[in-house]
Amino acid sequence: MATTVDPHRTGQRPNVASADVQLPAVRDYAQVDEEIIGTLRPTGKWFAALGVSILFMLIGAATWAYQIYWGLGQAGYEPPVMWGVYIITFVFWVGIGHAGTLISAILYLFRAGFRTTIYRAAEAMTVFAVMTAGLFPIIHIGRPWKFFWLLPYPNWRLLWPQFKSPLVWDVFAISTYLTISTTFLYVGLIPDIAVLRDRETNPIRKRIFSILSLGWRNSEREWRHFARAYLFLAALSTPLVLSVHSVVSFDFAMALVPGWHATIFPPYFVAGAIFSGFAMVWTIMIPIRKWWKLEHYVTLNHLDATAKVVLLTSLVVGSAYLIEFFIAWYSGVPAEQEYFWNRTFGQWWWAEWTLLTCNMILPLSLFSQNLRRNPMWLFILSIFINIGMWFERFVIVIPSLSHEFEPWQWTTYTPSWVDIAFIAGSFGWFFMWFLLFVKQLPVLAISEVKEIVPPRVRRRSSVAADAPATGGH
Amino acid sequence: MSTTSGSSGVQRRSFLKVLGASGVAAGAIGCSSDRVDKLIPYLNSPDNTVPGVSNYYATTCRECSAACGLIAEVRDGRVIKLEGNPDHPLNQGALCSRGQAGLQGLYNPDRYRGPMLREGDALVPVTWERALQELNTRLSQAGALQNAVFINQHESGSFPALLDEWLASRGMPPHVSIDADVNMPSVEANREAYGVAWPALDFTAARLIVSVGADFLDDWGAVVPQQLSFADARAKLTEAPRFVYIGSRRSLTGLNADEWIACRPGTELMVMQALAGQMPVAQAAEAAGANAAQLEALVAELRGAGSSLVLAGTHGTNATEVARAAAALNQSLGNVGTTVLPGRALTSFEGLSGASALKAVSERMTSGSVPVVFVRGANPVFTTAPAAGFAQAFQSVPFKVSFSSYPDETTVLCDLVLPDHHALESWGTAQPLANSIGMQQPVMKPVFNTRSTADVLLQLGSTGAAAAAPAANGDSAYRQWLEQRFGGGVDAFVAAVTTGQAQGTTTSAAARPALTPASADPSTPIGDTDGEFFLHVYPSPLLGTGSGANKPWLQELADPVTKLAWQSWVEIHPTTAQRLGVENGDRLTITTGAGSVTAPAYIFLGVQPDTVAMPLGRGHTAYGRYAKDIGVNPLVALPVAADSATGAMAYSATKCRVEKEGSHDQLVTTEGSARQHGRGIAQALTVAELTALQNGTAEEPHGHDIPGVPSYSALPGLRSPIAADAQGELADSSAAQKGMYDPEHWSGMARRRWAMTIDLSRCTGCSACVTACYAENNIPTVGAPWQGRATSPVTWDERPGANIIKGREMTWIRIERYYEGGEDNGTDFETRFVPMLCQHCGNAPCEPVCPVYATYHAPDGLNVQVYNRCVGTRYCSNNCPYKVRYYNWFGYGEPNRRQYAFPEPLNWQLNPDVTVRGKGVMEKCTFCVQRIREAEHRASSEERDLNPDEFTVACAQACPSRAIVFGDAADATWSVAQMAVDQRAYHVFEDLSTFTAVVYLKKVNHPAPGAPVQA
Amino acid sequence: MTTRRKWAAVPGLAVIAIAATLLSAYSGAQAAQQAAAAPATQTESRDPAVIKAGMDTVAERGPWAYSAASSNVGNSPEQPINFPHPVHVQGAGMNCLYCHNTATKSPDPGLPAVETCMGCHQIVATQSPEIQKLAQYYSDSLPVPWNRIHRVPKYVQFPHQRHVNGGVACQTCHGQVQEMPRVFQYSSLNMGWCVNCHVENQVRYDCATCHY
Repeated sequence: MATTVDPHRTGQRPNVASADVQLPAVRDYAQVDEEIIGTLRPTGKWFAALGVSILFMLIGAATWAYQIYWGLGQAGYEPPVMWGVYIITFVFWVGIGHAGTLISAILYLFRAGFRTTIYRAAEAMTVFAVMTAGLFPIIHIGRPWKFFWLLPYPNWRLLWPQFKSPLVWDVFAISTYLTISTTFLYVGLIPDIAVLRDRETNPIRKRIFSILSLGWRNSEREWRHFARAYLFLAALSTPLVLSVHSVVSFDFAMALVPGWHATIFPPYFVAGAIFSGFAMVWTIMIPIRKWWKLEHYVTLNHLDATAKVVLLTSLVVGSAYLIEFFIAWYSGVPAEQEYFWNRTFGQWWWAEWTLLTCNMILPLSLFSQNLRRNPMWLFILSIFINIGMWFERFVIVIPSLSHEFEPWQWTTYTPSWVDIAFIAGSFGWFFMWFLLFVKQLPVLAISEVKEIVPPRVRRRSSVAADAPATGGH
Repeated sequence: MSTTSGSSGVQRRSFLKVLGASGVAAGAIGCSSDRVDKLIPYLNSPDNTVPGVSNYYATTCRECSAACGLIAEVRDGRVIKLEGNPDHPLNQGALCSRGQAGLQGLYNPDRYRGPMLREGDALVPVTWERALQELNTRLSQAGALQNAVFINQHESGSFPALLDEWLASRGMPPHVSIDADVNMPSVEANREAYGVAWPALDFTAARLIVSVGADFLDDWGAVVPQQLSFADARAKLTEAPRFVYIGSRRSLTGLNADEWIACRPGTELMVMQALAGQMPVAQAAEAAGANAAQLEALVAELRGAGSSLVLAGTHGTNATEVARAAAALNQSLGNVGTTVLPGRALTSFEGLSGASALKAVSERMTSGSVPVVFVRGANPVFTTAPAAGFAQAFQSVPFKVSFSSYPDETTVLCDLVLPDHHALESWGTAQPLANSIGMQQPVMKPVFNTRSTADVLLQLGSTGAAAAAPAANGDSAYRQWLEQRFGGGVDAFVAAVTTGQAQGTTTSAAARPALTPASADPSTPIGDTDGEFFLHVYPSPLLGTGSGANKPWLQELADPVTKLAWQSWVEIHPTTAQRLGVENGDRLTITTGAGSVTAPAYIFLGVQPDTVAMPLGRGHTAYGRYAKDIGVNPLVALPVAADSATGAMAYSATKCRVEKEGSHDQLVTTEGSARQHGRGIAQALTVAELTALQNGTAEEPHGHDIPGVPSYSALPGLRSPIAADAQGELADSSAAQKGMYDPEHWSGMARRRWAMTIDLSRCTGCSACVTACYAENNIPTVGAPWQGRATSPVTWDERPGANIIKGREMTWIRIERYYEGGEDNGTDFETRFVPMLCQHCGNAPCEPVCPVYATYHAPDGLNVQVYNRCVGTRYCSNNCPYKVRYYNWFGYGEPNRRQYAFPEPLNWQLNPDVTVRGKGVMEKCTFCVQRIREAEHRASSEERDLNPDEFTVACAQACPSRAIVFGDAADATWSVAQMAVDQRAYHVFEDLSTFTAVVYLKKVNHPAPGAPVQA
Repeated sequence: MTTRRKWAAVPGLAVIAIAATLLSAYSGAQAAQQAAAAPATQTESRDPAVIKAGMDTVAERGPWAYSAASSNVGNSPEQPINFPHPVHVQGAGMNCLYCHNTATKSPDPGLPAVETCMGCHQIVATQSPEIQKLAQYYSDSLPVPWNRIHRVPKYVQFPHQRHVNGGVACQTCHGQVQEMPRVFQYSSLNMGWCVNCHVENQVRYDCATCHY
C-alpha cells in the first residue's frame, strides 16, 4: 500500500550510499516526501523569476521575427566571419546539456552515490539545454523556413541531404540525444510521479499524474523491471554523452580552417562539455538548495565531490589548450602558427585570456577543500566557468575565421544588438522551462534520496512498513 | 514579372509593346507564388528579333571623349550589357569600367522623366511643346544673341558641326567644347610637337618607359588603347620594356611601374630638365627631394636604352612646359615614329576649347553681357573650383538652358531643361581616329520622355517658328541629316552603322620642327607658403572628375590604388602619419588659402612624405541619389591657379596645412592585409630568374615544399593536371557522384574542364573585369547609404558604404593588391595585383560541407552553387581558403526592401539568363555558366561540337589587358590549355590540394640595372 | 490488468504514428514517379476524360507531393480571348510552330504577334465576338494580355529549342493541346518530373543543367 521505497525489502537498486554521501539530517521517509514535494509550492520568488524568463524569451522571439523579415545582415557578421554568436551559443548550450546524462548515466553505472541528490535537476537541465541549443542552427541559417531540407525525407525533387556534411550529422546527433535524455528523465520520474499522484487531491492533476506514472504500484515486480529498464537506458545513453559533442566538434575539426582542423577536438570538446555542464548544475542547484532549505539533502559532501569532477575536467581542458599551441608550432604551417599568435597576443588577446582565466586559472582554487565546501564560492566560480566556456567557443569560431589563409580577407567582428538579444532570449527560454519543471515535478529524486538516508531511518520504516507514512491512497 | 507596376513614369506601355514573352527581370529566388503571370506578345513582331535571344548592335561609347566602339547586347528590347567592339580599331573589344557603367547612366533612376521648367525655386515637369515654345519665346525676347553661350561636353564627330550650324543660323557664336577629364597641357604640347592632339603611343616598341605624372592607365588620354599596348609590351617578358614612374604620388599607372622616383609636386620640370641633361642631376634631385642615385642611373639608362618612351602629364602651373620638355626629349631620343606615332593620331580630342575659353565665358557672364547660356553634357559648376566663381557667373545669366538628362549641379541652376537622349538612345558619329569614323545608333527605345538634342535643334530650325512635329522614335531628323552628309550616301551609312565604324580619310601629320627644350624656371608652389605640405588633387580613374559618381557600379568598385569606395580620402605617407599621430580613418582637415576640406586619412606608401593626395569625382551636392552627399570635393580647397599656357586648373602643388580634426571615420575599404605573409598568392619572377627558368638552369629554392611558401619550381605549369581532373578523378569521392547520385551516368558526356589562366604580367589592376562581372551576373551593389543595417530597433547605419565597412561587398571577382618591400617606409616598393575569383577546385573544400547539396562538382569541372537549394548555413564560405563566396545578408533583390539594389529602371539591366538571388543564400563566380550553356545550346542546335575559344566569360571579354583566358583545359585546341602549361604557371594555395581550375602566370619584374634582386 | 493496458498505450500510439508517416511518405514518392511516367501512356488517347486525368494525378500523389513544390496541374485560367486550339490545329491543320515560331531557336517558344492573328482574321470569322475582341486590341494597338498557364520558377532556365530540336514532342509536356477547348496545365512541371525524364533519356541532370 505504501508507495515509499524500502531498499532492504526490494533490494533491487545497487545504489548503496557510502558514508560521505548519507543524509544524517533525515528523520524518516515522510520528512523526505514533505520537504522535497515542498519545492512544488509556488513562491513569490518563483513567479518573479518566471516572469523575467518569459520576458527575455519574448525579446528573443521578437528579434527572430525581425531578423527573418530583414535578413541575417542585422546580426554582426563580418565576412569572412560567416559564423558568429549563434553558433557559439549553440555549442555552449549543447555543452551544458552534457552534465545531465553524464551524471545520471555514467555516474550511475560507476555507483557514485553523490549523484543521487543532483541528477534529477541535471537531467532536466540537459533536456532544456538541448531544446535551447536545437533552436540556434535554425536561427543561424539564412532561410530558416527551408530548415527541413536538412532532414532525409522522400520528396518530389528526388533529393537527399549531403550525408558527408557534419551539419547533417549534427541533426542526427542532437535529435537522438534529445530523445534519449527525455526518455531517461521520464523513466526516472515514474516512481516519484506515483508519489505525487497519491498525494494529489485535485482530480484532474491526479488523473494526469496517474497516467504519467503508468499505474505504478510500487510492487516488487515493478521495481525489478524499473531497475532493469533504468540500467539499460543508462548503458544506452552513456555512449551518447561522448558521441554528441564529438559530432558537434566535427563541425570544426572537419574543416580546413586554421585553428579548427585539429584531431584533438572531440575529446577536448567532450571534456569541456562536462566541465561547463557541472558548472551549470551548480548555478542551478546552489540557489535551489538555499531557497527551499534543502542543504541537508544536497550536502557539502555532494558539492565537494562535484567540485572534484570540475577540477579534473578543468585540468583536462587546460592541457588540451596547451597541446593546441604545441601542435600549431609543431605543424610548421604558417597560417596555423599566425592564427595562434594572433589569438593569444594579437587582435583577440582579450578573448583568449578571459577564457584561460575562467577555465584554467580560477578552477585551480578547487584544490583547497575549504573552497570546495563553500557554496557561495562554487556559485561564483560556476558563473565564471559559464562565461569562460562561452568564450572558449568564441575563441574557436571568431579568430579562426577572421584570420584565415587569405591575408586580403583578414577582418574583425563585433556582435550587434540582435546577437545580444538572441543570447538573452536563449537564457529566458531555458530558465522558463526549468522553472516550470521545478514547479510541477520534484527536482530531487524522492525514491533515490530515500536510499541514502541513514540506516536507522530505514530500519524504522521497515519495522513500520504498513504505517501510512506518506499518506497513500 | 512584366506586370510589375510601372513606378517613376517609365514608358511602361511602349516598353511592353516591344517586350517579348520573357519578363522584365529574372525574379528573386524562393518566391514561386501562384500569382497569375501575364504573357505579353508583340503587337507587330519586329524583324530579326527572337524573344529570349539577344541581338547585338554596334555603337559608340560616350562616357569619355575617347569614343571607343561598343557592342550592345539587347534582349527583348532592353540593353543588358555593353562590351567592346572587337572590330573597332581603337579598343579592339576591350572596355573600361566607366564605359561599361554607361548602362547605369541610361537606366539611372534619377534621370529627368521629361522637360522641366523653372517655376519659382523648383523645376516642374512640362510637355515638350510647352518647353520648346518657352525656349523660342525666351530666345526671341533675349535680343543680343551674338553674346549667347553654348557650353558643350566635348565630343568628336558630326554633332559639333550641326550645333555650330544651328547657332550660326540663330545668330549665335560657335559653341565652347570642354572636357574636364582631358589633360589640356599634354594636348597643347602634342599640338606644338607633333601637330596632333594625341599621337598614338606604341609601348611595345620601347625598351624603357619613363612617365612623369602621365597616368596613362588611369585617366591620361585614351586609357583603353594605351592599356592594350602597355599590356602587350609587358607580355614580351624578357624583352619587355622597363617602366620608371616619376611623380609625387603613385597612381595606378605608378603602381605598375618597376621603379618609382618620388619627387615633390611642381618640381617635375626640373627632373625633366635633368633627364634632358640641361640641369645637373644632383641639383634637380636636391630641389625635387628625389633620390639622386636613382635619377643618375635613369639618365644613363635613358641614353643607352635605344628606343624609349617619355611621357609627361602633370597638373601644375607649368604643366605645359613639362609636357613640352617630354616631347622635346622624345624628339631628341628619336622616339617619334617608333614609340610616338603622330601618323596614327587619336583625333578624339581635336577641337577641344580648353579651360581658358571657359574662363573667358565666365568673365563675360559675370559682366552681364550674356543673355542666354546653354549647357549640354558638361557640368562646369562642379568641375571648376568654387573660388573661380563660375557658379555665381552662371547664375547671373537671365536665361539658362540645360540639355542634360541628369539633375547635376549645373542643371539644377537652369531655368529650362530639355533632357537629351542617352548616347545609347540616339544617333551620332564620332571620330576617334583620323581614318576611322565611329557610328552611334540608338540600341533601344528611349527609357524616358527625352529627345535627342540634335533632333530638337533641327526641329527648332533657323526660324524658331513653333516646334516641328516631334520626331517619332526611330525616324530621327538627325539621322536623315547624317545620311545626307555621309560619304557614300544612305547605303554606306547603313553599312557603317552595322559594323559600328567606317573608314575615314587618313591625314598624315606634317613634319614638325623640333621643340626647343624649355629652359623655364621650375614652378613656385601655389598659395600661401607657410603650409608644410603640398596638396595633390587627381582625377579618379573610375569617377573621372565627377561624371561617374551617379553610377552605383563605379561608386561600389574599390579604387584600384587605395581600395576605398563610397567615400573621399586623404592619402598620407606612413612616416608623416606617424609624425602627426594619424591613424587610418582619422579625419584630416586640409587648409589652403582658398578654403579647407575634411576627409578620413588613408595611410599610403605611394605618396611623397611632404604631399597629401585627394581624389576628384565625389562630393556632389546634386546629381542623384548615388552621388549626392557622398564624399567631399577637394576643389573647394584649390585656389584659382592655372597652367600658364592653357589655363587648365592646377590640381597639384598647392601649399596646404594638415590638421587632425579629432573625429574618426571608418574607412570603406575592401583591403584586409596588404602583405602576403609568405602565403604565395601573388608570385613574381625577375627577368634573371625567368631566363634561368627558360634555360632550365634555375635551381630549386630550398624549402619549396614547405606549405604556404611560394614555389619557384622549374616544372612546367600544372602541378595538378587539370585535364586529368576533368571528371573529378582527383577530387574527393563526392566528385565521383557527379552531382547527382549515379556514378555511371556521365560516362557518355563530353569530357570538359572549364578553366582559366590569369597572366599577372599583363594585369594592371584596372578592375574592368569586376564591373563586367557586376553587369553580367546581376550582382547587387550594397554600399548606398540606405542599404546599411539597423544599429538599434529604431536607428539605421546610414553611412555610405556601411555594408562594405562590414566586409559585405559582393564582388565575385576582386582585385587584391599586395605590396612587396618598402616596409621601412623609405625605399621603393613593388605592387602585385591578383584577380581573385572562385577557383573551381577539382577537390573543393566547400562541396562536402554543404548539408543540402547546394554546392557540388559538375561533370564539366565547374564548382556549382545552386541558389534555390541553398539554405544559408554559410559553412561553404568558412571552408573556402580563397574566401570567394558571397552571402546575401539582406534582400538586395527584393523590391520591397530598403536594401533593394535595382530601383526602377535599373532593374531593366538585369540579365534574364542569371537568377537574381534572394536574401539568405550564398553566391559566387559561376564561370559565367549561362554563357557556357548558351554556347552549348547554339552548338547543339547547329548539331556540332563547341569550337575552340568559341566564347569567353565576361571578365575575360572586358579585360583591356587581355590578362584573362578562359576555356576548356581538357581540350588542347583551346588556348587556355596551352597557356596553363606555361613555365610561369602556379596555383594559389597549391599545398591545400584543392586542384584549382584557375592558373596564375607569375608576374615578371624588371629591376633597375644593378639594383638588388628582390625575390 | 489496467496497469498493463496503460503500459501498452503510449508506445503503441507512437509506433502507429511512425508507421503511418513512413507509409504515406513512401506512397508519396511512388505516386510521384508514376505521375511523372504517366504521360507516355496517356498521350495516345483522344478521350477528353483521359486527357483530364492529368489533373487527377494531384489526388494520387499523397501528402508528400506538396513537400517540394506546389504543382498547378489542371490550372486553366480564363483567357482575355477564348482561343480554341482544336479549331486551329485540327480544323485548320496548323502546325504548333506556325504561331510558336521561336520554339526551335530560342529558350522562349514565343507567342504570335497580334499582327499575325490579324493576318488571317481580317478575313476569317470576322463576325465572331472573340475575333472582334482581338480586332479591338489591334486597333487600340495593345498586345493581348494572355494569362500564363505553364510556368517554371524564375530560378529554372528551360531552353525550349534544346528540347524541340532534340525531338521531344510538344504534347509530351503540354498534353494534347490540339484537343483542349481551353488549355490547362497538363504536367506537374515539378523538379522530380523533369529529372525522371532526363534520367530516362540519358541526358545530364545535375543541378547546373537548369539552375544558375
